[in-house]
Amino acid sequence: MYAAVLADAIARDPRLAVVTAVLGGLGFLLLAFMLVLGWQGSLAAALLLLGGAYAGAVVVHGASVDERAPLVAVGLLLCGELASWSLEERIHVVAERGVVRARAVAVASLCGAGLVASALVIAVAGAPAVRGLAPTAVGALAAVAAIALAIRLARR
Amino acid sequence: MTLASSPRLAGYVGLAALGLIVGLAVGRVEIVALAAPFALAAVVGAALKREPQLEASLALDRERALEGDEVVAAIELRTEAGAARLDVFLPLPDELEATRPNPRGIRLAAGESRTLELPLRCVRWGALGVGPALVRARDALGFHSWEGRVGHSAALRVYPSVETLHALLPPLETQVFIGNQVSRAKGEGVEFADIRAWTPGDRVRRINWRVSARRGELHVNEEHPERNTDVVLFLDTFAEVEHAGRGTLDLAVRAATSLAHRYLGRKDRVGLVSFGGFLSWLFPASGTLQLYKIVDSLLQMDIVLTFAAKGVDFLPPRTLPPKALVIALTPLLDTRSASALLDLRARGFDLVVIEVSPVPFVDPGKGELADLSYRLWRLSRESLRARYQRAGVPVVEWQDGVPLNVPLEEVAAFRRYARPARA
Repeated sequence: MYAAVLADAIARDPRLAVVTAVLGGLGFLLLAFMLVLGWQGSLAAALLLLGGAYAGAVVVHGASVDERAPLVAVGLLLCGELASWSLEERIHVVAERGVVRARAVAVASLCGAGLVASALVIAVAGAPAVRGLAPTAVGALAAVAAIALAIRLARR
Repeated sequence: MTLASSPRLAGYVGLAALGLIVGLAVGRVEIVALAAPFALAAVVGAALKREPQLEASLALDRERALEGDEVVAAIELRTEAGAARLDVFLPLPDELEATRPNPRGIRLAAGESRTLELPLRCVRWGALGVGPALVRARDALGFHSWEGRVGHSAALRVYPSVETLHALLPPLETQVFIGNQVSRAKGEGVEFADIRAWTPGDRVRRINWRVSARRGELHVNEEHPERNTDVVLFLDTFAEVEHAGRGTLDLAVRAATSLAHRYLGRKDRVGLVSFGGFLSWLFPASGTLQLYKIVDSLLQMDIVLTFAAKGVDFLPPRTLPPKALVIALTPLLDTRSASALLDLRARGFDLVVIEVSPVPFVDPGKGELADLSYRLWRLSRESLRARYQRAGVPVVEWQDGVPLNVPLEEVAAFRRYARPARA
């Protein structure tokens, strides 16, 4: 999964291929370090390096919106989830099939929802700009509501 | 239960925040789109943070078992909030072995109650504690986990297996109560002892008519009555030598169990003395209840290191009744037990020493010095055995893997040809 995202980032802009490959390679090493030694702390850094490599390729490539960004985002999320799941399974516990199936369904659901969220961001960005006080207020209220919901859920 | 959150949750929040800020700063929506799934994952992670409110209880299908038996542990689990994944582990002592996977992972819905059964094989004797169960509950995506102990522990007594003994050591003198041991005394019984002249009070049915006809005057038969025996099992618990789960204390406990079982089975009275760092005793008594008391006491046996000098004076007089047969099970490692036993012999007790040999459990070591030390140690043990034998005490060596019948037979042969002198 990681290699697929890295390959896409390298292919995005050949001018930055070396830089992208180095950043992505470092991230790959961090990911391998995490999987071998079982240290989850390096997961975010590995994803950040690859995400950063893709972001750099996108910025350099041009002004047009890359419609494959949601796939890249879900690819990164799936990579993180699968790496974390494999670390949890290191402590061998014989689990029922329903347990494994439920986790697979949950990961798939999260990635699906993430794909939809990312696609919505791209779609909303592509919509014609609407100006005015009302849309601005709606946007501000939506942002406040989202943050309040997040805080409420975090406090539970 | 202790809550722990996965480090990746904080990482996702950081990635989402960084992505949003960088995306806004450079004005590229793709970077915001990269951050969106991680922001969603962070929100979902916060939403899944619900403690499972787990209740559990542990029960064993029985409280007592023999070595080699299988006991089933049932762990009943109930959760109000539900757990997407619940790992259950039952801590077991070394003397028990799970025959199914332990730990196990299950799933519990909200309000669901479930019982997990775990068969346990009793590998070795002992007074054991099973549990309490350790659990780890996780949400659907593994963002949060709750760990803790649930329920209480359960007690299990695993008794040592009893070895079949073909013959027991007869005592030099019996007691006054009815039993299965043929006494040296003469009276009414089954075993023929002697013929004597009739005296007033003798029963007519005891008259030996043939002898009476030959002698011209009445003669009666005398028999050896069946009487019981008082046996005291004397365990030396000052020190032990063990290797790979087997040791001298283990052998001594097994021997004591087998001897107590056999002697009590033929209506003798059996007592127990644990002579070591922790002094304990059981007064001689008979019956099944006494067998359970002895075996339960043996299960608690342990070596307690001490440097205090101890003698048999510490024991209550009733512990060692007169004319009792004292069977000492000792590895001959501590001189205090040797002194106590020789003291018993000097007081006139009928003493037998079964040396539970530590030699098979000792690694002689490599090198000239180690070899010399080992040989000196063996010689000192020979010297101690000679001390006992000079005092007229039969000492036989019993090694692991040899049936207990063998040393008992050796002792019986020794006593057949060497009677203790009496003043």
